[in-house]
Amino acid sequence: MHIPDGYLDLSVAGLFYILSIVVLGYSIYRLRGQKLTSLFGIVAAAIFAAQMLNWPIPGGTSAHFVGGALAGILLGPYAGALAMAVVLTIQCLVFADGGITALGANIWNMAIVDVFVGYYIYKALERFNRSIAAFVAGWLGITLAAIFAGIEIGISSSFGYGLTVTVPVMGVWHAILGIVEGVITAGVVSYIAAARPDVFEQKAAPGKLALGVIAAMIAVSPLFAYAAELVGYAEPLENAAEIIGLEENPIYEGLLPSYTLPSLDPYIGTLIAGVVGTVIVLGLGVILARYA
Amino acid sequence: MHELLERTIREASSYFQNFLIHEYSKKSALHAVDARIKLIATIIFVVLAVSTFNPEKVLLVLIFLITISAVTGLSLRSIAERVWLFALFSFIVVLPISLSNPIYPVTFTLRVATSLVAIQMLVMTTSFAEICLALRSFRVPEVFVSALWLAYRYVILMFKELLSILLARESRRVSKGSHMDVWRKGGEAVGLFFLRSFEKAEKVQLAMEARGEALSHYHGKLKMLDFVYATIVAFTVFWWVII
Repeated sequence: MHIPDGYLDLSVAGLFYILSIVVLGYSIYRLRGQKLTSLFGIVAAAIFAAQMLNWPIPGGTSAHFVGGALAGILLGPYAGALAMAVVLTIQCLVFADGGITALGANIWNMAIVDVFVGYYIYKALERFNRSIAAFVAGWLGITLAAIFAGIEIGISSSFGYGLTVTVPVMGVWHAILGIVEGVITAGVVSYIAAARPDVFEQKAAPGKLALGVIAAMIAVSPLFAYAAELVGYAEPLENAAEIIGLEENPIYEGLLPSYTLPSLDPYIGTLIAGVVGTVIVLGLGVILARYA
Repeated sequence: MHELLERTIREASSYFQNFLIHEYSKKSALHAVDARIKLIATIIFVVLAVSTFNPEKVLLVLIFLITISAVTGLSLRSIAERVWLFALFSFIVVLPISLSNPIYPVTFTLRVATSLVAIQMLVMTTSFAEICLALRSFRVPEVFVSALWLAYRYVILMFKELLSILLARESRRVSKGSHMDVWRKGGEAVGLFFLRSFEKAEKVQLAMEARGEALSHYHGKLKMLDFVYATIVAFTVFWWVII
């Protein structure tokens, strides 16, 4: 479910960076002074390790556990979101799993939607049956996270398929795989409830207003994404150039304007300009290698 | 549950090779460039690659990145090995669109591949400790960066602990069990694993506090080498713009 670079428009990617930073920033603010660094770090490492498990599913294939809803249930939504964000950032910067420009969207889907929705559902259903509540939280959390990923990719004009393809593909596939997520979440929660029930009691109840605002942000984020896309920032640098009139009045024509030379076939001109640029980079690279 | 263990170990062994990749990648000039510059450069390269559908511009960034890697001594083969699979996957996913727009799948794949090359250049030449310090110098909150660094250091240890729990259960199992059984019993094992992780977190926190909890900061000044790399990045942006 990790979205790589190139699948999202920069406007959509930027929007989800902002939304994610707002929620994570608020989470850090809520948890200030609680000395939870090691909890985020070690539990994030544990979630990472649990994600490595390759659960066999009928038909010979396998599924991975994401753990967003579980993190929300065990740590509370704020600490859970931060632990998941730690996991996703390491996956991006160490394993190149998920793109750098898409990190905001990936955090939004798996560290915020999955964690908060999982938490809300668990809290709503907990009083009826803890295991079923955990199952539904795990299953629906991951399915919704996948649907959000489908919406983000589908809205982006960079990706050739629209919402009618991306949302069903992501949603249906993860709704099936999500059963494994739900069963494991239920297994973990039931075990901890039996062995160490105090784990569920230790967390301070998070503010209802803040949770409501974050729920509203999650609900309307697809509309924000749609609005960001309407602004037309699929190619922001080129659009910005167009808006400020650079396209009509280039501030600098370059050594080889538009990569072409007068009276030269444009393709050959582009080729020559490309070679010239590469030679310059080559020269700078040699200087770099010499200084090292 | 043996299937779960076997599959996991097989996949994890290749996945964990990513750890310390910067150590066993061939030493290149890029290893010596300041992590702050490399992090910003990576973001700029990726943004340049995914900001346009003009194949010439995307190709330009890709060729520049390959040139930089080759000249500075980074193994192109290693980069290709780490990029080709996902690039191919992306190409296949968008291939049906070639019926209406023949050039689109090629440009789309080039964008994805170029971004992946840019990230791999960072990953293969920069230790995670340096990345964490660079993030800290960019004012990313200390609690988040400390947690990143802690999680990175503990992942393999925690994974080993998880496997030993699963192995202990597997060695005591007598019945084969259905998929549902594996998930349920496996879930319980993971539950035990999370309990242990909470206890470990508590101990680590106490140890950290006992020693004084602080992350070291970047004191290094930028070197001439860093300015040369910054010039290459600036030149790439310039050449990209003037097309």
